[in-house]
Amino acid sequence: MIELLRYLGRWGLGVFQRLGRGHIFVLYVLAGIPGLLFRFRLVVAQMWAVGVLSLLIIVVSGVFVGMVLGLQGYNTLVDFGAEESLGVAVAKALTRELGPVISALLFAGRAGSALTAEIGLMKATEQLDGMEMMAVDPLRRVVAPRFLAGVLSMPLLATMFTAIGVVGGYFVGVGLLGVDDGAFWSQMQSKVELRDDIINGVLVKSFVFGIVVTWIAVFEGYDAVPTSEGVSAATTRTVVNSSLAVLGLDFVLTALMFNQ
Amino acid sequence: MLDQNGNHSRAAAGEGPIVEVRGLSFARGSRIIFNHVDIDIPRGKVTAIMGPSGSGKTTLLKLIGAQLKPDAGRVSVDGVDVHRLPRDEVFEMRKRMGMLFQSGALLTDLDVFENVAFPLREHTRLPGSMIRTLVLMKLEAVGLRGARKLMPRELSGGMARRVALARAIALDPMMIMYDEPFSGQDPISMGILVQLIRQLNDALGLTSIVVSHDVAETASIADYMYVISDGKIVGHGTPDEMGRAESKWVRQFMQGLPDGPVPFHYPGAGYIDDLLASEEP
Amino acid sequence: MTSKGVEIGVGLFVALGLAALLMLAMKVSNLSESSVNDGYELTARFDNIGGLKVRSPVTMAGVRIGRVSEIGFDSQTYEAVVNLTIDSKYDQLPDDTSASIFTAGLLGEQYVGLEAGGSLQFLGDKDEIKLTQSAVVLEQIIGQFLYNRAAQGGGS
Repeated sequence: MIELLRYLGRWGLGVFQRLGRGHIFVLYVLAGIPGLLFRFRLVVAQMWAVGVLSLLIIVVSGVFVGMVLGLQGYNTLVDFGAEESLGVAVAKALTRELGPVISALLFAGRAGSALTAEIGLMKATEQLDGMEMMAVDPLRRVVAPRFLAGVLSMPLLATMFTAIGVVGGYFVGVGLLGVDDGAFWSQMQSKVELRDDIINGVLVKSFVFGIVVTWIAVFEGYDAVPTSEGVSAATTRTVVNSSLAVLGLDFVLTALMFNQ
Repeated sequence: MLDQNGNHSRAAAGEGPIVEVRGLSFARGSRIIFNHVDIDIPRGKVTAIMGPSGSGKTTLLKLIGAQLKPDAGRVSVDGVDVHRLPRDEVFEMRKRMGMLFQSGALLTDLDVFENVAFPLREHTRLPGSMIRTLVLMKLEAVGLRGARKLMPRELSGGMARRVALARAIALDPMMIMYDEPFSGQDPISMGILVQLIRQLNDALGLTSIVVSHDVAETASIADYMYVISDGKIVGHGTPDEMGRAESKWVRQFMQGLPDGPVPFHYPGAGYIDDLLASEEP
Repeated sequence: MTSKGVEIGVGLFVALGLAALLMLAMKVSNLSESSVNDGYELTARFDNIGGLKVRSPVTMAGVRIGRVSEIGFDSQTYEAVVNLTIDSKYDQLPDDTSASIFTAGLLGEQYVGLEAGGSLQFLGDKDEIKLTQSAVVLEQIIGQFLYNRAAQGGGS
C-alpha cells in the first residue's frame, strides 16, 4: 500500500517536473522566434517538411471524411424529408469539430512524430551538442523554426481539410444522391456563420491545436533520452500525448465558444 | 577593484596555461567522476588526456566547454572562469574553441560544404564568395575538397571526422578539443588523423586537447600527457616520462597489460562459491 | 529538393491554404450575403412570428430578395416588429405588398414571403408593410382541427 502511494507520488512528481521543463523550454523557444523574422528561410524549409509533406494525407482524409458525412447525413435527413439541409449538416460538423480535430490528429501522427524523431536523433548523434559547442543555440537554430513552422502550418492544413471535406460532402450529396445543388449551398450559407464557425471553429481551434501539438513534439524530441529506445519512446509519447491534448482541449474550446 | 580584476585577467590572457583546471569535482548521481582534479593545458601544445573507457574524459571536455557545470572547483579558459560567465559570453568563448565529437556530429541534413560553412554562416555576415573560399581552404587542409558535394551519410567514419575537423577550424579557434579521434578507425584513417592533428596544431598555432585511450597514436603526437583513473590524475608528464613511469597503474595502461592494478575480473563473489551456488539468488 | 523548389512548394502550400479559407468564407459561410448591406429597410408587424430568426430569408415569388435584419417587440400593441433588409436591386415593391411567414417544408426553417399587390406606388426606405399574415403555428392548427372534429361529431 505504502509502496503504491510512493509509486503514485513519484509518478506525479515526474509529471510536474516534465511540465515545468516543458514550460521553461517553450519560453526559450519563443524568445528565439523574433530572430527568425530575419531568417525566414529557415522557417520556410521547415514548413516544407511539416506542412507541405502533410498535405497529401490531409487532403485524402478530408475528402473521405466529407464523403462519409454526406452519406450518413443524407440517410438520417432523408427520413425527415430534410435532405436539403445536408449542406448545413456537413459544413457545421466539419467547421466546428471534425476539420480542426481530425487534421490536428493527423498532423500529430504525420508531422509531430517526425519532428520528435528528427530532433531526438539530432540529440542522439550529438548534433545538438555540436551546435552548442559551435556557439549556436539549438533552441534558436533547430527548435524555434520547427515550432513556428508547425504553428503556421496547422491552421492552413485544417482550413484545407475543411474546404476539401465540404467538397467531398457536395460530391456525395449532390453528385451521387441527388440533393438539390442550390439548396445544398444556400442552406449552408444561411446557417454557417463566418465568425462562429469559420473563424472560431476552424481557425482559432486549429491555431491552438497547432501550438500544443508542435510544442509537445519539439519538447519530446529535445527531452528524449539520446538512445534509439529513448527516441522511439519519445515519438510514441508525442503521438499519444498530443492526441489526448487535442481531444481534451477541443472539449474545452467547444464549451467556451459554442455554449450560449 | 574592477580595474584590478581587469588587469588581472588581461595579465592572465596570452601567457600561462590556456586551460587551468583547479580542484574540479563532478558527480553523476552517486557516481563520482572527478575528485579534486588539477590540470594545466599549455598553450600551443598538443596535450593528451588519457584513461580507460568510462573514466570521464568526454565529461572533462564538456566541463571545459561549459556544457556541464562542476560540483566544485574552477575551470578557466584563457584566464576566464567559464562557469561564471553569463550565457552569451559563454557563446562568445565557444566561438574560440573548436570541438571534434566522437561521431563527428555533422548536421545530417546539410552536405559537406554546408556543414563546414555552417559556423561561418551563423556567426559572420561574410559574402557568399568569401565563405566559399574559406570553406574550400578548410576542406583542402583536411584533404576533402573534392568531397564537398557529398552528404554526411555517404562518408566513411574517418572522412566524417575530417569534415568535422574542417568545421571545427572554420572560425580559426584558439584551441581544439578532440573527443576520441582515433577510436574505431582503420589504420590508414588513423594515420591521417594523427598527422592532421599535429600539422594543424603547428601550422595554425592552435592548442590541442586530445582525449583518447589509444596509447601508441596519442603518445606519438602529444607533447604532454595526463592519465586519469577513478576520478583522479594518476600520472602526468611527457610521453617519454610516462613510458618510464614508476606507477604500476600507468605502466599497465601504457603497455596494455591485461592484469594489474586494474583487475581483469569484475569484482564479484568467489569463483568456486559462485559455481557451487545452484541458482541465481 | 533544391531550396528554390522548397520555397515554391511552400508558397503554393500557403496559397492553397488561403484559397481554402476564401472558399470557406465566400461559398460555405454567409459572408457573401452579409456583405450585401446596401439594401433598404422595411418594417412589418406580426401577431406571431413563430420560429423566425434574424438572417432568415425574405423571398418574393420564391426568389430570395433580402433577409430579416432585426426582430423586436412592441409592448404597446403586443406585436412583433420585424425589420427586413431588401436588396437595393429590388426597389419597385408596390406599397400594398403583403408579408407572410411561411415554413419551408414540414420541419424546415421559416421565412418571410412577400406578395406584390397592384398599387403603382412603391415602398421606400423605412416604410411599413401593412398587410401581414402571422406564422402558422402547427399546434394551433392541430388543436383547431381536433376541436372542429369534436364539434362536428357532437352535432350529428
